[in-house]
Amino acid sequence: MFRTTFPVAALALSTTLLSSLPVAAETFRWAGTTDPQTMDPHAVNAAPVLSFLNNVYEGLVRRDPEMGVEPSLATSWEALPDGAGWRFTLREGVTFHDGSEFNADDVIFSYERAVSEASDVRSWFASVTEVVRVDDFTVDFVTTAPNPLFPGSIANFMILDSGWAAENGADLPARDAENHATRNANGTGPFMLAARNPGIETRLVPNENWWDTAGHNVTEAIFTPIGNPATGLAALLSGEIDFISPIPLQDAEQVEERDGFEVLAGLETRVIMLGFGHDHDSLLYSEETTGANPFHDPRVRRAVAQAIDVETIDRVIMRGAAEPASQLVPAGLSGYSDDHADRPDYDPDAARALLDEAGYGDGFSFGLMCPNDRYINDEAVCRAVASMLARIGVEANVNAMPVRGYWDELRADNFDMYLLGWSPGTFDAEHPIRFLAHTPTERLGTWNFGGYSNQRIDALLAPIQSEVDPAARQAMLDEVAGILQEDVAYVPLYTQPLIWAMQENVDVVQRPDDFFMLRWVTVN
Amino acid sequence: MVAFAVKRLIQSVFVMLAVAFLAFSLFAFVGDPIAQMTGVETSLEDQDRLREDLGLNDPFVVQFTRFTGDMLRGEFGYSFRTREPIGAMILSRLPATLELGTVALLISLIVGIPAGIYTALRPRGVISQSLLIGTLIGVSIPTFVIGILLIFLFGVQLGWLPTYGRGGTVEIGWWRSSLFTAQGWRSLILPAITLGLFQLTLTMRLVRAQMMEVMRTDHIRFAIARGVPWRSIRYRHALPNTMIPVITIIGLQFGGVIAFSIVTESVFQWPGMGLLFLESIRFVDIPVMSVYLVVIAFFFVVINLAVDLLYVAIDPRLRVKESF
Amino acid sequence: MLTRLMRNEGVWLFTRSPAAILAAIATLAIVAGAAFAPWIAPTNPYDLASFSLIDGLLPPAWEDGGSPRFLLGTDDQGRDMLSSILYGARLSLSIAAMAMAVALLLGVGLGLAAGYLGGRFDAIVMRIADVQLALPAILTALLIDGISRGILPREMHDDLRVTVITLAIALSLWVNFARTARASVFVERSKDYVSAAIMMGQHPLRIMLRHILPNIVGPLLVIATVDLASAILLEATLSFLGVGLPADSPSLGTLIRIGMQYLLSGEWWILWIPTVFLVVLVVAINLLGDFLRDLFNPGMR
Repeated sequence: MFRTTFPVAALALSTTLLSSLPVAAETFRWAGTTDPQTMDPHAVNAAPVLSFLNNVYEGLVRRDPEMGVEPSLATSWEALPDGAGWRFTLREGVTFHDGSEFNADDVIFSYERAVSEASDVRSWFASVTEVVRVDDFTVDFVTTAPNPLFPGSIANFMILDSGWAAENGADLPARDAENHATRNANGTGPFMLAARNPGIETRLVPNENWWDTAGHNVTEAIFTPIGNPATGLAALLSGEIDFISPIPLQDAEQVEERDGFEVLAGLETRVIMLGFGHDHDSLLYSEETTGANPFHDPRVRRAVAQAIDVETIDRVIMRGAAEPASQLVPAGLSGYSDDHADRPDYDPDAARALLDEAGYGDGFSFGLMCPNDRYINDEAVCRAVASMLARIGVEANVNAMPVRGYWDELRADNFDMYLLGWSPGTFDAEHPIRFLAHTPTERLGTWNFGGYSNQRIDALLAPIQSEVDPAARQAMLDEVAGILQEDVAYVPLYTQPLIWAMQENVDVVQRPDDFFMLRWVTVN
Repeated sequence: MVAFAVKRLIQSVFVMLAVAFLAFSLFAFVGDPIAQMTGVETSLEDQDRLREDLGLNDPFVVQFTRFTGDMLRGEFGYSFRTREPIGAMILSRLPATLELGTVALLISLIVGIPAGIYTALRPRGVISQSLLIGTLIGVSIPTFVIGILLIFLFGVQLGWLPTYGRGGTVEIGWWRSSLFTAQGWRSLILPAITLGLFQLTLTMRLVRAQMMEVMRTDHIRFAIARGVPWRSIRYRHALPNTMIPVITIIGLQFGGVIAFSIVTESVFQWPGMGLLFLESIRFVDIPVMSVYLVVIAFFFVVINLAVDLLYVAIDPRLRVKESF
Repeated sequence: MLTRLMRNEGVWLFTRSPAAILAAIATLAIVAGAAFAPWIAPTNPYDLASFSLIDGLLPPAWEDGGSPRFLLGTDDQGRDMLSSILYGARLSLSIAAMAMAVALLLGVGLGLAAGYLGGRFDAIVMRIADVQLALPAILTALLIDGISRGILPREMHDDLRVTVITLAIALSLWVNFARTARASVFVERSKDYVSAAIMMGQHPLRIMLRHILPNIVGPLLVIATVDLASAILLEATLSFLGVGLPADSPSLGTLIRIGMQYLLSGEWWILWIPTVFLVVLVVAINLLGDFLRDLFNPGMR
């Protein structure tokens, strides 16, 4: 089919083009489902905003097409002695779009802005106590404990010009009313914001004074949000837009077969999984089973895992574009445990036997909560899961709802089982442990809706975060992966695919975080 | 008459307050705005603080009083999602919806009235029958399917018309108009047809019914008997009598067109108020939803009021019945 | 008077109108299919264990790759399309009929009372109608859904999705009935027979029910038919906007909503078969409405 596991081909093409750039003037139009709600890089920690603004603003480090960390506004960085933090050496001669100089003051200003109460990206700096200006082009990030992954974790921390922000009253991210930075931008990135019409159209033009060599040949880039997938596809097929992400999975093959269009399919880092109400005393949505929660029994959870035919879900609903998952992170991600790469076999008979053993041979009914507009074909997956569970005598009542009310319901514990997708923001296996596996507290386990709790995992989190030796760190991650699998704390289903579609004459690089980088776009 | 108008005006204010109240009470149920405003990694404390800052922890009565108070002072507040001032937001989306609605209504009149007359005069003709059944099938297909079909036929297969958005717009003051460029008109055609189809069918059938009714009345029969030429009977005698009720009903439909444009705007990514409203629901943007509804209520109230006053002005008998 | 008309002239007219006959046959066939769905449908789409994802996306039996087990093919879950459509029509028709009935009772009741009592009551009812018109159906649906979510225990809420959507549709339709009834009362009550009844000291309720109501049955029936058709469409539209029924209870609306995802994918049957079915149903009902209108307005013949 249209399957390429990783966008190697497109990448190779774009790198060879680096040396011999076509100079044709090209307006590039692209569309996505959601408009970035603000141009302020610290106001909202959401993918549409960060993805878009990475074209305009830059961080100290940035990610390459394979998600590796590479220098950006910092040319190099090193750990401070005794794991006291990190020292970043800044790039000299960089200017913001308005011409002002970039230096350590901007980094410190941006840090203070990003950790202010009005910021939504404070959690990135949870381990940072202060940022020290060493000289004009050197800063130290002082951390409470050694933090080996810190540079990579701030790849989306974008630097604002302190002078520009002060002049325009944008010292802090807009909290209530908008401020200058909500609709205007002054970054150092490869593109400058030319016009912003929220919800309708946003125009970018290349930054001629960018410090790096421009790898693109775009002279103007126009982004339009198109919410209706069929309309977006029509706009692509009629040639009104050059690129769209995502397109519905089921349409990919048809688009690929048309002349003049190309589909780029890869894997996101998002794992779709089922969660259980571990700390619920009884099932909420059950007629027969009151006063008890069968999901307390690991055998029942294992039965669920074995009753679900992920291969068929992948083939029919995900059109073969997904990849079955065994852990909370996809295969190949930093910290992924190779020792636990196998997922439980699909075996309804074994599942039935397990239920029998646990005393639920006659089955039971329960409620499965599911979003219907959050992940690719999420509702269809839930219904398929329900149908598969029905074959081992367990009746799942699917309650699918728009995501706008979904998290609310989960936080209010209104579920027996639920569907969740998780993409580790740091691209490391530690991230889901912090948010999904740790016992829920104010700051940790905040997305562990089912209240799964394991003391060993809780104890391992801090050492994993500060362990500098890769082998020792991996050993701990392996142990956690083992416990989660043994306990069937979650049932990981598959890694969600990423489907981009474009005109044939467009070359792009698909990064697994689904960020769209204009600096890798060439229009032939 | 003046007293009647004043009474109706006072009532209208209550209608709008009621709509605002309904709209506002709805928001407790739509979802949690905080979850839509913050990222995955935001701590629960930070979420709570934001909730507090936005006044979402206040009792409902306090929130509603604050909202209506602000509205009465002409302050519409700020969008949760984009933090833009809502007044400006709605104002910037208003022209798109009004232009779409007006053109849709015009299409329905320009096609619907002649078609209605024709089908009334030749009720058994093949063209009449196919017109009647064709439009009936047209309104029997859900609007969103019609819209997508038109997009794929004219936008993708034939490549004649744009598939989404407003195309070329010209700014006249704050009014962004698509009526002054060819590109703007090309973008307007498909959504206007989609939106106008229902009205077209309605108009055609109304005109047909009225025309047939009028043709049976005594004064037309008398005219026929007198030997007045057919042409003159149809267009000088029958048609004017048909138009009065038709135009009133169509006036009332305009409010409906504006409200129904939600679906059309969403299918065509038409950047009007309806699309804004749908996006606001998706992101639980409470203040924007409230203001949108109050604005829509305002349209309905004004149109209803105008129509009612018109009736009273035309038909004095109604005055007695409305005496309260 | 009504019955006589129906018995003689109505039947006679009916036999002379091929469109009406066709429409009646189509409506009857669909209604029968819907009513007897549990007996004639090959499978029960509500029974999760009766279908399997392995059979997903099979084309209709006459196409390459189709299976005789699934005459009209299967959807993305492996559900038999024919069964889904029959059960879907059943659900859609019951929702539309219920909504229409509620709207009719509510609208006619309020309209008659407003028209007869006039004064303050009339003003209040008509202003409520204004409020209702200003709230698009999608909002009414959201509102009722939200309120029921708020005040009812959560176990009940899932079972109430159908009730919620029925009420939402009913509330968007009652205004038409109310306005028609009210306007008719204004016209009728100035007529001699009503004045006579009033002078004879009859109770207002009796006057309305015995004298006024029978005279507006015609227009009301016409509106009811047209509204039945729009109720079916409204249910589909609400589903499209995401405030309709859940995908596992197939209605024509949810089937079309799911089908929209397959518009371009090559699996045309998932969208087009339910859509054609819906269109035939709505057109048939509308044609019957036309026929009734002609019947009650002899001038239109």
